Amino acid sequence: MAEMLTAVAIVFIVAGPFLLLANRYDLPGAPLLILAGVIAGVFIDEALALELAQFGIALLVFSFGVGIQLSTIETVLADSELAAIAQIVVVGSLGVGFGLLVGVPAGEAIYIGVAAALSSTIVATALLRTEIRSNLIQGRLGESIHFVQDLFAVAFILVVGAGVLELDPIVLQIGYGVVFLGAAVLVNRYLFDLVGRLASGSDELMIVGVVSLLVLFIGAAALVDVPIVVGAFAAGLAVRHDPAQYLGLFNGLDSIRDFFVAIFFVTVGALIVLPFVATGVAESVEKLTLVAGLVLLTVLVKPVVTAAILIHRGYEARTAALTGFSTDQISEFSLIIAIEALLLGLLTQTVFDAIILAAAVTMITSALTHRYNEEIYRWLADRGVIAGRHDKIDELSHVPSDLTDHVVVLGYGRMGSRVVETLEELGHPYVVVENDPALRDDVRFECEAYVFGDAMEPYTWEKANAAEARAIVSMTPSPVVSRRLLETRFDATLVLRAPDERTAVEYLDAGATYVAVPDLLAGEQLITYVEALLEGEMSPEDMRSAGLAELPPVRSTRY
Amino acid sequence: MVTEVALSLDLAIILLAATVAGFVAKQTGQPTIIAYILAGVVIGPVVLGLVEVTELTETLSELGLAFLLFLLGIKMRIDEIRHILAPIVKISLPQMAAVAAVGTGTSLALGFGVTESIIIGLAVMYSSTAVVIKMLTDMGETTTLHGKIDVGILLVQDVVVVILLAVLAAGRPESPAAVATTLAVVLVLVAIITVAALAASKYALPAVFRRIADDKQIFFLVAISWAFLFVFVSSEIDLFLSPFGIEAYLSIEMGAFLAGVAIAQLPYSKELQDRVNPLTDLFVMIFLVSVALTLQASELLFYWQEAVVAAIVLMIGKFVIFFTLITWQRFDRETTFLGSLYMIQVSEFGVVVGVAAAAGGFVGVEILGFLTLVALLTMGVSVYFFAWGSALFERLEPLLERFESAETFTEEKREHSDHAVVVGYDDVTRNLLGLLEHHYEDLVVVDRRTDHIRELEEAGYRAVFGDVGSATIRKDVGLKRADFVLSSSDQLEIGKRLLRETGDETTVIVEANSPEDARALYERGANYVIRSVELSAERLGDYLGALLADPDAFDRVVEREVELMRQPRPFPDLHEQVEGELDD
Repeated sequence: MAEMLTAVAIVFIVAGPFLLLANRYDLPGAPLLILAGVIAGVFIDEALALELAQFGIALLVFSFGVGIQLSTIETVLADSELAAIAQIVVVGSLGVGFGLLVGVPAGEAIYIGVAAALSSTIVATALLRTEIRSNLIQGRLGESIHFVQDLFAVAFILVVGAGVLELDPIVLQIGYGVVFLGAAVLVNRYLFDLVGRLASGSDELMIVGVVSLLVLFIGAAALVDVPIVVGAFAAGLAVRHDPAQYLGLFNGLDSIRDFFVAIFFVTVGALIVLPFVATGVAESVEKLTLVAGLVLLTVLVKPVVTAAILIHRGYEARTAALTGFSTDQISEFSLIIAIEALLLGLLTQTVFDAIILAAAVTMITSALTHRYNEEIYRWLADRGVIAGRHDKIDELSHVPSDLTDHVVVLGYGRMGSRVVETLEELGHPYVVVENDPALRDDVRFECEAYVFGDAMEPYTWEKANAAEARAIVSMTPSPVVSRRLLETRFDATLVLRAPDERTAVEYLDAGATYVAVPDLLAGEQLITYVEALLEGEMSPEDMRSAGLAELPPVRSTRY
Repeated sequence: MVTEVALSLDLAIILLAATVAGFVAKQTGQPTIIAYILAGVVIGPVVLGLVEVTELTETLSELGLAFLLFLLGIKMRIDEIRHILAPIVKISLPQMAAVAAVGTGTSLALGFGVTESIIIGLAVMYSSTAVVIKMLTDMGETTTLHGKIDVGILLVQDVVVVILLAVLAAGRPESPAAVATTLAVVLVLVAIITVAALAASKYALPAVFRRIADDKQIFFLVAISWAFLFVFVSSEIDLFLSPFGIEAYLSIEMGAFLAGVAIAQLPYSKELQDRVNPLTDLFVMIFLVSVALTLQASELLFYWQEAVVAAIVLMIGKFVIFFTLITWQRFDRETTFLGSLYMIQVSEFGVVVGVAAAAGGFVGVEILGFLTLVALLTMGVSVYFFAWGSALFERLEPLLERFESAETFTEEKREHSDHAVVVGYDDVTRNLLGLLEHHYEDLVVVDRRTDHIRELEEAGYRAVFGDVGSATIRKDVGLKRADFVLSSSDQLEIGKRLLRETGDETTVIVEANSPEDARALYERGANYVIRSVELSAERLGDYLGALLADPDAFDRVVEREVELMRQPRPFPDLHEQVEGELDD
């Protein structure tokens, strides 16, 4: 068996038990893979580990590029690019400052800054999956902040690829970067669908073709001395983001990515030189000081800075805090940057090890803070550390002072807006409670009374005069908010929304008057149709016409 | 520069050449395997000399074989192959002896020396695992009867090749006793690993995989980890045994296959097939390209005339031998014909045996070239017989009839058609299952959660674990032949895919997240699009109206609905009744 294959085998054999641990304790896989790597490192040669890591890096960055939809990039960015950039600048500077403070040379302190500033998309996306799926603001915000950070990381690698911090090579690098992006856009627009047609539906050829595209871009990058990361990223952009058309391709790329990214995290762990075990006391202390500092910066300072910036930008305290918590880990891109810098000789082993160790630690702590994020927030809010700004709520809200016997509608999404429509038809007073800045204009324009505040904040309900309301209709899918409403025990009729029957029964037992379960309703309605169809009382065409007739006339979407 | 370390130029050239060749083959209707092999010939030392074998390509090729056999293992449910084990052994052993005899005889006739002829005979008796399994997989025939027979024979051959390599590695055997010892050790080892794999599959794996199957990524990686454990133990078995003074080798392929077999017995293996498939395709491609990279043109073509003659004789000889033996085991004529036709090529193992023999000093490098050329020629030709197999059979069927035994070996075939497929087990679909079961004899539910699968099976439904985004799952539930498809996945791409892959006659009901998605799905032919959020919003509007106008009516309907919610069972549409009541 080839030496390299033995190394790959060892990587996976050691990774297996650690992944089972991750699953058992509901932790993200990445940090446990790094820890597995520490053990695998005993058996794997360093040069080989570095070589294997390169594949993971290429695939990781490539998939980041593949995930980007060129056509919708603006709407993603509009949300939080300023907040993200401000966060990078502030936390990055603090990181550099810390590095200099403990005596790291300026050239290396930059990497400490980068490590502190960037957060892990892989870890956060895994942790935030419920929030993202339910389209809660903190999920969306977290996602877009990570996205901006990843873009920043690619740009940073491009610049650092010049190897020296002088203007000429940097300008040249950026020039190459632009050329690569241009080529990617051209392939995406003009070549990709042609390749798709030529593959004639063969997933195998599509996958092989796209991998070749990746190799081609990486080869081109290597040829002009641009980091392969930039080539891989551009190759990812060149892939047309159309999972419906190329389902087999996207599933296939997922498998290939998962395989190589697992290798990447393990080999990164294998590159660590353990303090005290393999190094002297003085060096070990230095390393651990750096780790401690980085962990503090990442776990405490970064969430605080992020939350503060978001509050300043007009987000609600709770949303800001929860989004802040979702940034409290070191990014896989920081690992990539560290490896590239180590290879270019810009980073010493001590700083490199510190970054990797701190990444493993913070990725694990991040899972814990996410698990208890509501509790942490509540604890902080109760002690006034994070104060909900009543003046801000007052400023943004519009509630007639004599509002009583009204309906409080929480959430102005599709269900909420439909409820408001009914209330307007009936001429019954109501007040909408919403906290998504993206819906602010809609609410202000379409609703008579509204409160802009977080549903977890008592003042919001005070402002909406919930104590004297006839009914409270909460359309948020967030279980945290629903439970909170149940605990508060308003006098009003309480209507909630639940994802499934089981949760609905739980809410009913806890005191809800009625719980809407969209899936259940859909199922009920479907039964009548399907019954009619199977009994031959309705033809498939009839059912289709009935369904089409149910569709609303074309109008703007709202989620 | 960093980049040159890892992603070597060689690999880039291999990938690009294979891709171009693959696309050309696809457009001209040729099998892609041929394209990959030819690409290797063109870019290798034989024609252009752009690339040669490096450690990286070698690693990826080995990974390719390991994954191919792992994938094959995942498909092998023991219940489904147990009944053909005995015939397979009875066919494969005489077959190898007979082909080796033909190979040796042909070589002697072509003027090779005695030792050389024997080595050639031993090298050509295997059929190509890579080609046969890849083609069977591509054509979806791995689980047909002839597919299973071929796979079984290939595995027996694999055991034999492992033994032969062990003997060759030891140099010229001192005595028949030494050969017998090696044989015994290898067989015992294979037995031990098989037992270990099956025991794990029965006692340890179910609990572990039930836990992790819900997490797609961890499930995939742990399965790979499991495979590598077996690969590692098999290939490094020497490491474990040398302290005891025993020398033995097992193949990577054998370990990978057994690891796969252990997982195949679990209900979660279907989805894994689709996850492993892309990696296999990629690595096997590199393997196929690199077959031709080892030799110089002069070595490869030294005996080219002899190679052409030997290739023709061997292909005919193999077909006749297989045909005779499979007929002898009383398989029907189609199974016999296709099973034989697919196995006529010389294996890449022939080349490996050649390499070992050349290293052991048994033969010269020109013989290695000869074996490689024979393998390339026979593989190339055989691929076309895969493509034309069924057509040839139809034409030759009358002729073949008289060879068939009166009573043939049969196995029941089970294929879904005109059935109902339900994707996702949730509040939307749950209450419909009873109704559908009443109307369809055959109802399959696909879901991605192990607890749902268990719940369904306990309720007596047929449940398949997996993601309907995976092609294997869609094929497994017979989506194309379904009469009724209901999906509660609101992912637009899933909805579109289901609509694309079902027939015009099929009733398809899918779910959408927004009116735009719903419209897109109707445009693609959906018979109905579920829009649960809109529906719920509308209902809620009605209730709210009731609450504000007539609180008692609201209390009544809500009370009844809540009651129904607490006792889950199919219930009639409440909507009509609610409105009726509110009108009063």
